[in-house]
Amino acid sequence: MALHTSRLKLIVNQSPEVLERILRVARHRGFEVKLMHWSSEHGELELTVSSQRAIHLLTSQLEKLFDVKQVTDLNEQINAKSA
Amino acid sequence: MTAQLVTDLTTSNPKAKSMRGADLLVRYLKQEGVDTVFGYPGGAIMPVYDALYDGGLKHVLCRHEQGAAFAALGYARASGNVGVCIATSGPGATNLITGLADAYMDSVPIVAITGQVTSAVIGTDAFQEMDVLGLSLACTKHSFMVTDKNELADVLRQAFSIAKSGRPGPVLVDIPKDIQLADIETMIVTSQRDPIVAHSSAQIEGAIALLQQAKQPILYVGGGVGMANAVEQLQHFVDVTGIPSVTTLKGIGAIANTKPYALGMLGMHGTKAANLCVQKCDLLVVIGARFDDRVTGRLESFAAGAKILHLDIDPAEINKLRSTDLSICGDLTDILPALETSLAINEWQQYCWDLKQEYRWNYDAPYRSIYAPKLLSQLSEKLPDTAVVSCDVGQHQMWVAQHMNFTNPKNHLSSSGLGTMGFGLPVGIGARHARPACDPVVVVSGDGSFMMNVQELGTIKREQLNVKIVLIDNQRLGMVRQWQQLFFEERYSETILTDNPDFVTLASAFDIQAKTITQQSEVLPALEEMLASDSAYLLHVRINEADNVWPLVPPGASNADMMENV
Repeated sequence: MALHTSRLKLIVNQSPEVLERILRVARHRGFEVKLMHWSSEHGELELTVSSQRAIHLLTSQLEKLFDVKQVTDLNEQINAKSA
Repeated sequence: MTAQLVTDLTTSNPKAKSMRGADLLVRYLKQEGVDTVFGYPGGAIMPVYDALYDGGLKHVLCRHEQGAAFAALGYARASGNVGVCIATSGPGATNLITGLADAYMDSVPIVAITGQVTSAVIGTDAFQEMDVLGLSLACTKHSFMVTDKNELADVLRQAFSIAKSGRPGPVLVDIPKDIQLADIETMIVTSQRDPIVAHSSAQIEGAIALLQQAKQPILYVGGGVGMANAVEQLQHFVDVTGIPSVTTLKGIGAIANTKPYALGMLGMHGTKAANLCVQKCDLLVVIGARFDDRVTGRLESFAAGAKILHLDIDPAEINKLRSTDLSICGDLTDILPALETSLAINEWQQYCWDLKQEYRWNYDAPYRSIYAPKLLSQLSEKLPDTAVVSCDVGQHQMWVAQHMNFTNPKNHLSSSGLGTMGFGLPVGIGARHARPACDPVVVVSGDGSFMMNVQELGTIKREQLNVKIVLIDNQRLGMVRQWQQLFFEERYSETILTDNPDFVTLASAFDIQAKTITQQSEVLPALEEMLASDSAYLLHVRINEADNVWPLVPPGASNADMMENV
């Protein structure tokens, strides 16, 4: 199966362990983090992940985290704009 | 200062302005409606145990923190309420982890309170310090470490709310010792369940259309039905629609086996009727279930020709392993009544009924030694519908699932997702505290599993608990032995337990009456004697090590290809 790369933007609670929670879920669910940008001041995280698995399998698990307020798939946004 | 603290503790004045964090915890638990907690003291949790000393909350001393976690889990599963366990920092907390993982896999609401070393020394490798928050990340729904004394009350409220809202699960609250000792002025506000997002009428219309188009629909019922308190609604839905049903291990009890088209458990050790009917169905209605690999066998071949209608509270389960044709996330107590519709599926019902009859259990064992499936069937007949059975993990667990009958999932406690040996005894202890004395509590264990939390016999003795234990002993780690026989060329590596202790003597060391039986003719009188006794009783049942669990879907095979007795 081909690798897919996705860009996600997360709005999160600024708890000290929030990054660990997100990265743990990404690893465990089979997604490799290729790039990340973290703004602790604003509780914003941008993640570029790659996997053979469909991205909804990651976003649906991230959305369940109590400290994650919002997950946006930036690929989908781009696709929507170009459509 | 001590005198002041004692005054605060012993008065029940709700306006008391200030109290220790530990006293706040105990007061919070009482206001939350918790009547019993399970735990084990230690250095970093001592202020909490001081508050428990005369705090008016029943504390059950288990004999290992894993026992406390599982007792809280048993309490939660047998009652439907949040279970609470307490442990100290470091080893106390790490010993809880298996219980939390079990609760996480089976979506059981538990709040675990752990002591932590004093805030100032966290991160210095202090005595009995362990990063419990870090350890909790993979095995809890959420976890907290309290860093500000003024947040303690609200963290507790959030912990209970998260544990019981949506898809339930375990929550851990790590409380440094200085916060347990700090004077705190606060109001206590108890938790509430978060509201469940309502489904749309379009979804219901779509689902009804799927049901009406189906010629061969089947219900695949999981643990979500019991946790949503939707057992009544499901049974009514089954009565109105007449759709045949199968259940998962956790779904057992949601539909009584006496319903005409209830085909029993599906999956690896399910009934042949359940598996064959699921393979043949044209609409699989998945209700509070998640396509676990022990259920589906080879996923690609599972109900391959069927459309999927998935009803669940957790959006992450939709399209996780199998694409759905339609899904509804929401409250099953609302969804199921809305889906009631009459269907013309007589031919399909007859087909399912015929398979149910063709593959019904046969208890005619050709030998004099005890046949465990028959014994469990006889035990089931003797127990009232209100009895709770807590089992361990292995062959006996599958036999309980196959051969005992339940009318509520709260009465069948089995480690399903995690498959934790050592589950049965402490979960039975928790269930004993959750249920009235008139509901019998029976632990069905195996000789391997029993030894994993055998120390909890001490809790039974200490609390004088009327818990019956049926210990099915084949002097083997039977399920592993079965797989070694079938799939590893009979190389019985580390599964022979002919050096087991004398279980009757072991029970007697804890003042527990016990008896060994070895012949079929002894079964009925022994069951009667056990159930008639008014205190704990261990019935040690010797069985033949060659008895295996049948039928079986071999690993990697389709559910259509079940192995029979070999």
